[in-house]
Amino acid sequence: MTPTRREGLVYGVGALHAAARGDRMMWALHRAALSNGIVPLISAVAVAEGYRTEARNDRVAELLDGTHIEAFSGEAAKRSGELAARCDTSELEVIAVVELADRRNCAVVAQRQAVLRNAAALLGHDLVLYAV
Amino acid sequence: MVTKRSVSLADEVAVAVEEAARQDGVSFSAWLSSAAEKQLRVRQGLRGVAAWEGETGSLSAEEVAAGEALLARLRSGVSGVASRVRRR
Repeated sequence: MTPTRREGLVYGVGALHAAARGDRMMWALHRAALSNGIVPLISAVAVAEGYRTEARNDRVAELLDGTHIEAFSGEAAKRSGELAARCDTSELEVIAVVELADRRNCAVVAQRQAVLRNAAALLGHDLVLYAV
Repeated sequence: MVTKRSVSLADEVAVAVEEAARQDGVSFSAWLSSAAEKQLRVRQGLRGVAAWEGETGSLSAEEVAAGEALLARLRSGVSGVASRVRRR
């Protein structure tokens, strides 16, 4: 089967942590996306979790300057909640990443987590992940 | 809040925008506004990258190329976990 070309990137909380710790590959990827006219997406839920867990908010803010923060709409919230229940997880910030990547046909930049794969499998989404 | 501006577009650009807006199910103005917003976000984002480079050192040509290669790989849609290309 021919792989489906992805429209863009979705960042998870791991991308924010990677940027904050100065992961140069993360920044190189971010630069490449922007230079190619791609504005990475990030769920508002992931942003909230990033700000809760990351002290280097200055660097997170620099990264977020070049992203589109996707509002956690009512529809996305319902879909994410249902998916979280099926995955038996409370990690809504991870589920929101998969929900967004599926809806917007994007590759994911996030930490490698079993729940990512489980959620993608439940959605029938072919996960393309860069694990930071 | 909306600001009305009179803008001039090349004929072929206007036709292409009309078609794209029709396909996307939005108005001509909304499509142009969205395109401008995206361009501004790219510009602001690249400034953010430059600010980070100012603190930590510029990305080398090799790192920039590695970022481009990783992006191309992710966009190609080949499923699985992309490995790190190179880290300093």
